[in-house]
Amino acid sequence: MSDWMRKILESKREMRRRLASLPFADKVKLLEQLRDRSRAIAASPLKRQSAHQG
Amino acid sequence: MKATLEVINQMQADGVIGSYATGGAVDATFYLEPVATLDIYIFVSFQKAGSLLTVSPIYNYLTARGHRAEKEYIIIGNWPVQFLPPANALVEEVLAQAVATQIENVPTRVMTAEHLTAIALQTGRAKDFSRILQFVESGTLDVNKLDQILARHGLLAKWEEFGHKFLKGNS
Repeated sequence: MSDWMRKILESKREMRRRLASLPFADKVKLLEQLRDRSRAIAASPLKRQSAHQG
Repeated sequence: MKATLEVINQMQADGVIGSYATGGAVDATFYLEPVATLDIYIFVSFQKAGSLLTVSPIYNYLTARGHRAEKEYIIIGNWPVQFLPPANALVEEVLAQAVATQIENVPTRVMTAEHLTAIALQTGRAKDFSRILQFVESGTLDVNKLDQILARHGLLAKWEEFGHKFLKGNS
C-alpha cells in the first residue's frame, strides 16, 4: 500500500473516531441530515431513470 | 427523532407497549459514527392477544392519533417506524438489558453494542455483516460479554463462520 493511500485510510479512521465520540443527540442530528439527503437522492429523477434502466 | 420518541414514550405510558429499545442504524449511531438510514426499528414488548403476537394494538393506537400506516411502517414525526415484537429469546434479553439514554431530554433505550452485534449476526444480511465489522474495528465491543451472549443464543458457530469469512488476518 502506498503512503498516500495509507494517509487517506488513517484520515478516514480519524474522522470516524471523531464523529463516534460526539454526544448522541448531536449524532442523531447528523443522522437526520443523512436521511434527508438519502431521501432527496431517492426522489431524484436521475436516480429513478437509472433504476429504470438497470 | 425527538417527536417520534415522545409519541413512543406516551404509548408506553398508556400501557400499549411494555419496554422497548431502538435497533438498527439509530442504535449503531449511539456507539459509532452516524449511519445513514431511512427508518427506525423499535424492538418492543407487549402482551399477547391469546397465543397470537400481533402489533395491531400499536397500529390501532397510533392511527387513531393521526399517524399514517405505510406498508410495514407507521409514520411518526417524519420517521417511518417499524415495531418488532420479541420473536426469540435474544430479543427478549435485548429488551431486558437495554441501556437508558436521552435524546434532547427525551428518555429512550438503546440495546447494548454486544446485543446489536448478536442481532446483526442472527439476521445475517450484507448490511448487518458490514455493521458488525464497524463494531469490531471501533473497538467498542466487550468481547467476553459478546461471547456469553453468542453462547447463550446458539450463535457461536455462526460467529466463527463470520470470523473466517471477514476477520481472517485482521489484527
